[in-house]
Amino acid sequence: MNRLAAQQQALLASLFDWPPDVAINNLAAYADSTWARGLKVYQANGHALAQRALQAAYPVLAQLLGSESFAALAQDFWHQQPPQRGDIGQWGEALRAFVRSSAQLAEEPYLTDVTALEWALHRCASAANATQDAASFALLGQHGTDALQLRLAPGCAVLTSDWPVVSIVNAHLQHRPTLAEAGQLLREGVGECALVWRVGLRAQLRQAWPGEACWLGALAQGHSLGAALAAAAQLDVDAWLPMAVQTGLLLGVRLIPLDQAGAPNVNAGDSALV
Amino acid sequence: MPPPPNTVKPVLRGLVAPVGPTQGAEPTNGATGRGLAVGIGWRQPHYAQLLQEQPPLDFLEVHSENFFADGGAALAVLLQGRAHYPLSLHGVGLSLGSAAGLDDWHLNQLAQLVQRVEPVRVSDHASFARAAWPRGGADPIHAADLLPMPFSAAALQTMSDHVNQVQNRLQRQILVENLSAYLRWTPAADEPFMAEPDFLSQLALHTGCALLVDVNNLYVNALNARIHGQGGDPVQHCCAWLDAIAPGDVGEIHLAGHCHVLPEPGGAPLDEIVIDDHGSRVCAAVWHIYRHAINRFGAAPTLIEWDTDIPALQVLLDEAALAREVGAQQLTSRAPATGRAAKQLPAHKVLA
Repeated sequence: MNRLAAQQQALLASLFDWPPDVAINNLAAYADSTWARGLKVYQANGHALAQRALQAAYPVLAQLLGSESFAALAQDFWHQQPPQRGDIGQWGEALRAFVRSSAQLAEEPYLTDVTALEWALHRCASAANATQDAASFALLGQHGTDALQLRLAPGCAVLTSDWPVVSIVNAHLQHRPTLAEAGQLLREGVGECALVWRVGLRAQLRQAWPGEACWLGALAQGHSLGAALAAAAQLDVDAWLPMAVQTGLLLGVRLIPLDQAGAPNVNAGDSALV
Repeated sequence: MPPPPNTVKPVLRGLVAPVGPTQGAEPTNGATGRGLAVGIGWRQPHYAQLLQEQPPLDFLEVHSENFFADGGAALAVLLQGRAHYPLSLHGVGLSLGSAAGLDDWHLNQLAQLVQRVEPVRVSDHASFARAAWPRGGADPIHAADLLPMPFSAAALQTMSDHVNQVQNRLQRQILVENLSAYLRWTPAADEPFMAEPDFLSQLALHTGCALLVDVNNLYVNALNARIHGQGGDPVQHCCAWLDAIAPGDVGEIHLAGHCHVLPEPGGAPLDEIVIDDHGSRVCAAVWHIYRHAINRFGAAPTLIEWDTDIPALQVLLDEAALAREVGAQQLTSRAPATGRAAKQLPAHKVLA
């Protein structure tokens, strides 16, 4: 390893190893030790940034834990799973696993799924824009279901949980239901299946319909409309289609391109089915 | 003087556009025609108000990484701003000095953003953030901070390679900013001394990049050096620093505030530190150094940065107006550059 790489690794170790005592001793081989106060500035910057970044992505988790515990969680996570990208908005996906493995949070198992749902909302907010193609819905009356795919809204994601995650998140962000009502659902052990998507620039969240998770899962994997129907027999598709169009969940319909042998190639074309 | 980087690639010849207020689209709400382009850092608390009121500014500067997303509200706001003002993209995460190399993902996102908004300038810092972390597996981690570079020949070589890589990818010149640094590297015994202005000048010479001179960073570094008994008078030190930079290399100036963190009662005097927090008005000493900078560099586009404890928009506009006034006064009475003469630009800075 050359000297520059060694210097840079030594400084990063002194910022991310925790406690950093050994790393700081190693750094002393390259840096003026009288500037130790400066190292604390970088460490403090990192901790403050970790809290701000996670607070932006996980506002409900932050409220559930309280500021002191959330700051401690952010600091621990910063040292266990440092960012790998220069865009701090990309950092935090691994927090779900971190929360799940936390001994201190073991008595609050619903927090894992709240964390996963908040990450889905966070990613949804910055997904590529897309608009509804109303004219494309005419294809439904012109072709068989095996020849068609449905285009879903940006950031579409489904999370099935043993906990009332939709109610918990909405109680904190929308104040509907109330915190008391969400708490009651939690005590009763009510599970909910969350559906996330985006309309315009605003992320949406609601409980999925019975069978909707399987249906959307099949669509997201690129299956044809026919295959998705077979996978989601429980869903009332005749009711779902107009609702999905009206709420911006369904953006359009497209013909599946045929491969060289003339068979539908479900993997071809755009990747709007996220 | 260290040997020049040996892998400088002249591929930018004829591709690099000059920096300055004329590049990019003309503003519709700017204050052009007054000789000095002045802008502000556009941050989230002012998104809506600025779009609504559209105050006269020559450009807005944003942090590139905040708009890397493929879509969504932040990008939509940026594009609305772009309809009314020239934009300057100021990055904080490229990690130009990293021995671990640039992150291709980051560079691709930046290239996509540059294509979307056609910025008047693209800049980042003379810093590193990416490095291997033995506890973190095979992929480098990113410190999400602007960590200082040693001013060594090896560091210059690494940063030059990466600036070339970025400029080739973006097909345009970038600007590189001097840091406020809270740690000082100890040179190797066999390493010739290189001062920061020499390092940056060499970087500009060998890559064709321009320099973004942050006057407040200079002053913060000088104050911290004085706490450690180094550097003499901070203002004089900063002016000498500016005099060591060729006027033709400078494409933008940053102005901001800083804060003093005193030692705890009973703490060691060396625990005092000055932090470049961008959280207050520009202080009198930094205005003084700014005058010197305008006198030396001419009408370099100037930015008011404010990133913590962000005040009312009007406060930033007042600071911008003051920068315009100070700059105009200095340009009127400007003497020819003294000290080291403006160097002749290398051929690869000239448009074909």
